[in-house]
Amino acid sequence: MKRATALEALLWLYPPSHRRLYGQEMINVARHRIDRAGGGLVSKLAAAGGLVRGAAGVWKDQLGRKMAGVGRGWGLDVRFVARSLWRSRGYVLTTLVVLAAAVAANATVFSYVRGTLMTEPSYPDAESVLVVWGSNVANGQLRDVVSGPNFIDLQRRSSTFEKLAALHEDGAYVLVNGRPEVISALEVSVDFFDIVRVVPAMGRVFDTRDRMSGEAETVVITHGFWRDRLGADPGIIGRPLDFEGDPRTVIGVLPEGFEFIQPVSLFIPLHDDELAVDERMRIHYHLIGRLRPGASLADGSRELGVIAGELAAEYPAFTGWGFLAEPLHDVSVAAVRPVILILTVTVGLVLVVALVNLATLFRIRAHTRAAEISVRAALGAGRARLIRVLALETTGLSALGAAAGLAVTPFILAYVAQLVPAWITIPQSAVRVPVLVAVLDRPVAMVAFAGAVLGALLLTVPGVVSTLRVSNNLTGGSGRRVHGPMRSMRVLVGVELVVATVLCVGAALTARSAAHLLSEEVGINADGLLTLYFGDVWGLDAEGKVQYFREAVDAVEGVPGVVSAGVIDYVDFRAEDDYAHVYLLDRSFEPVFDMREEWRRVDTGLFETAGMRMVAGRGFEELDFQNTPRTAVVNEAFATKHYPGRSPVGEYLSTHDDAYRDMEIVGIVADVRSLGPASPPPPMLYVPNHGSPRGTQGMYVRVAGAPMSVAGAVREAIWSVDPSQPIQAAQPMAGLVDSWVAIPRATRLLVFALATLAWLLSAVGVFGVVSYVVRTRRSEMGIRLALGASPKRLRSDLLRTISPVVVVGVGIGLTLGVLGARAAATILYSVSPADTLSLLSALLAMCVAAFLAAYVPACRVGRVDPAEVIRAE
Amino acid sequence: MTTRRPLKPTHHIVLLLLAEEPTYGVALLERLEERTAGAISLNAGSLYRTIAVLVSDGLVQPLEENSRPDGAGAPRKLYGITERGMVALRAEASRQAELLEMARELDLLEDPS
Repeated sequence: MKRATALEALLWLYPPSHRRLYGQEMINVARHRIDRAGGGLVSKLAAAGGLVRGAAGVWKDQLGRKMAGVGRGWGLDVRFVARSLWRSRGYVLTTLVVLAAAVAANATVFSYVRGTLMTEPSYPDAESVLVVWGSNVANGQLRDVVSGPNFIDLQRRSSTFEKLAALHEDGAYVLVNGRPEVISALEVSVDFFDIVRVVPAMGRVFDTRDRMSGEAETVVITHGFWRDRLGADPGIIGRPLDFEGDPRTVIGVLPEGFEFIQPVSLFIPLHDDELAVDERMRIHYHLIGRLRPGASLADGSRELGVIAGELAAEYPAFTGWGFLAEPLHDVSVAAVRPVILILTVTVGLVLVVALVNLATLFRIRAHTRAAEISVRAALGAGRARLIRVLALETTGLSALGAAAGLAVTPFILAYVAQLVPAWITIPQSAVRVPVLVAVLDRPVAMVAFAGAVLGALLLTVPGVVSTLRVSNNLTGGSGRRVHGPMRSMRVLVGVELVVATVLCVGAALTARSAAHLLSEEVGINADGLLTLYFGDVWGLDAEGKVQYFREAVDAVEGVPGVVSAGVIDYVDFRAEDDYAHVYLLDRSFEPVFDMREEWRRVDTGLFETAGMRMVAGRGFEELDFQNTPRTAVVNEAFATKHYPGRSPVGEYLSTHDDAYRDMEIVGIVADVRSLGPASPPPPMLYVPNHGSPRGTQGMYVRVAGAPMSVAGAVREAIWSVDPSQPIQAAQPMAGLVDSWVAIPRATRLLVFALATLAWLLSAVGVFGVVSYVVRTRRSEMGIRLALGASPKRLRSDLLRTISPVVVVGVGIGLTLGVLGARAAATILYSVSPADTLSLLSALLAMCVAAFLAAYVPACRVGRVDPAEVIRAE
Repeated sequence: MTTRRPLKPTHHIVLLLLAEEPTYGVALLERLEERTAGAISLNAGSLYRTIAVLVSDGLVQPLEENSRPDGAGAPRKLYGITERGMVALRAEASRQAELLEMARELDLLEDPS
């Protein structure tokens, strides 16, 4: 008995069918052989081994047979699926559109996510590379630049940083092919390349030979500059580049594709000795550093705190300042992260709606095909074959839909790239980083494609199971009744309505918020305003410079169509890294408070030409430009920050620049909201430009008509004063102002587009469910019509099947929408998360969509022919 | 030359034995060992794997279940060759005859005399 039991246990290794047919006989034969061999252990083990080997063989035979069966009939199945889909063109089109929309939306947003949040920086061991800010929390200067002497002290005293480097972006005038051009350049101290660990393609990068001044001036150039502007000259190393008459020797060409935060063409060394003797508090440089192996961010921060304390003890002016260290990569993506996260959440919700929609569509499709599948089953198609047909259909459809979505994604990305500005300011800092132009790369495309196909296949499973069960019933199977497709579909549509309502609430709030933002006064009248930079008169004294700029303005004002012109050192009001150290003076001209603020040097016509509104006092007059500057104008932010509760007009201030001392504030000009309408405008000091003008000036030209129409004539007018002067980047101010509001505008547009998509998809879901109800209850409707029920009554009955789902779904959606908006309240501007108008808009949009989507298919009930239905019954 | 796929040796011998007379599992094993002088010996697992394949291919069919002569134990199932099985055997015989003829032409066979 024991022997038989042990052998019988081995039968469980066999497939059930084999066990059922031959199990007992195998045991009989095995027992016979064991008995014949005398019943010894060896014979028992041999019998057991035989059964085990037999089981493996039988499995192999059966699987081989099954696989051979699977391989047969592909052509037939493909033709069958194609014919079946052709008969259901509406279903095919809807599914393709839903899939394509979901894939395109996700591929677009995830291209940005991958490009920003998931991309490793070009420099190795990125987590060790930190940016070090000068930080004065009391002054509201959380992230600021650092002075040369403080950098040198940090470099000497730090032991947790392997290397530290100072850098400053600048434009360099370089003679390229005999013409003066402004080339983007980064001034860097010599350890910069050690920190980013770049190996040059040719020559060398900066080293100790370049650390001090007095040696030959050198320059490192990028591969792109060498290739595009210097004709890929193989003998470039050792050759001079003419920097306004001062030659610099090209010592290295960087590898192709090297880019550090922002694209520049030239790298010029900053010398340690020159940095060390600069003014202690003339803060000017960004710092980066690489931690020593084993040192952490916390170690670095701790040491920076200690050094800041030492510096404050040694130099009282440094009191209140400290250093803030952050991973450089985090800083460079910080500006775009909030927008990307909003879009990711939004697109995630759209994906949920799309998936639910697909699940509903597949479920309906599977159920409506139950009869057809039953016929195939009755004609001998095995379960595996039926599953194959259904899977083939889903795979084909989802692959087509995903491919269509991926095909349109590059166009969407190109469109989005036009919406966003090229640069974005890092929050709470004066630093801008370039906005990534995302491209659809292979990994994102592959994940989107595979996700769509696999997701669709998974979503098909419930429908397939239910179909096979129905077909089993119809062909004499278990006879169990099928319950619940309607119930589950109602739940699915309910979920869809909830999510779509949340998105509609989000879209309405975003739209209202952006409308408030965009209606804010920018502070400058950009219509009909042309901007450009001109001049290269660094060599002239202040008087000579002013004379040249005046003559240029006079010449430009003589151009037909030009109303007026004014000069300012930077045409863009964004922080341009040009700050004044400002001392507020009391009545006895003693400094009572000093701080660092942005300043702009302007001429008499600037405020009027730019259309900047005077809030109090006056603007600059001709008299202000007669002698040493004694007057200044401040903006509203400056007035509010430094003269809270009183007017600054009549007060006095000085700057670090000797040319601008003891100036009376004569007026307050409206803020220019250059950091975007949602960000507080930077305090700004305006002074007459004749004290110490820059050698290059920006010019505003007020034009009666389209600004660019006079751009050529304005150039000629400037050249009529001095034909050798460079003029660059003439552009309408409206373009610049547009870039200030580009992020909120682009966010509004994208959120709105995604919410509209979710809204449409949810309507498709409701449409599908009501269509399904009409189809499945056709017999009932026909009989009720025959018994005298009116089509109107039947229609309202049908609408009643979906209305509770709509009420509950939209209700929950509105509540969740308000809660979600509360969580994201920081991105809303002048709009409450429970803004009535936004909630009503979302409610109306969802109800209209749900009603129309239900009403259209419900109308079909009127086309049911009672006679036909009764005949069929 | 016939185009039918050659029979596996085990399948071939089992079919030949069943062509002689229908038989049940234990008897089939004993006759197999007897006719091949012990050169081919199957265990229970392999025997019924072979039978399952032959049944599935339609070459063998279960005939009836017989009680044991002594009345003890479970009834035994008789297996017999089908018409299709006979066709397969003839085709295999023909194929082997052709091969034999080729071998003879090459003087690979010993003279029977």
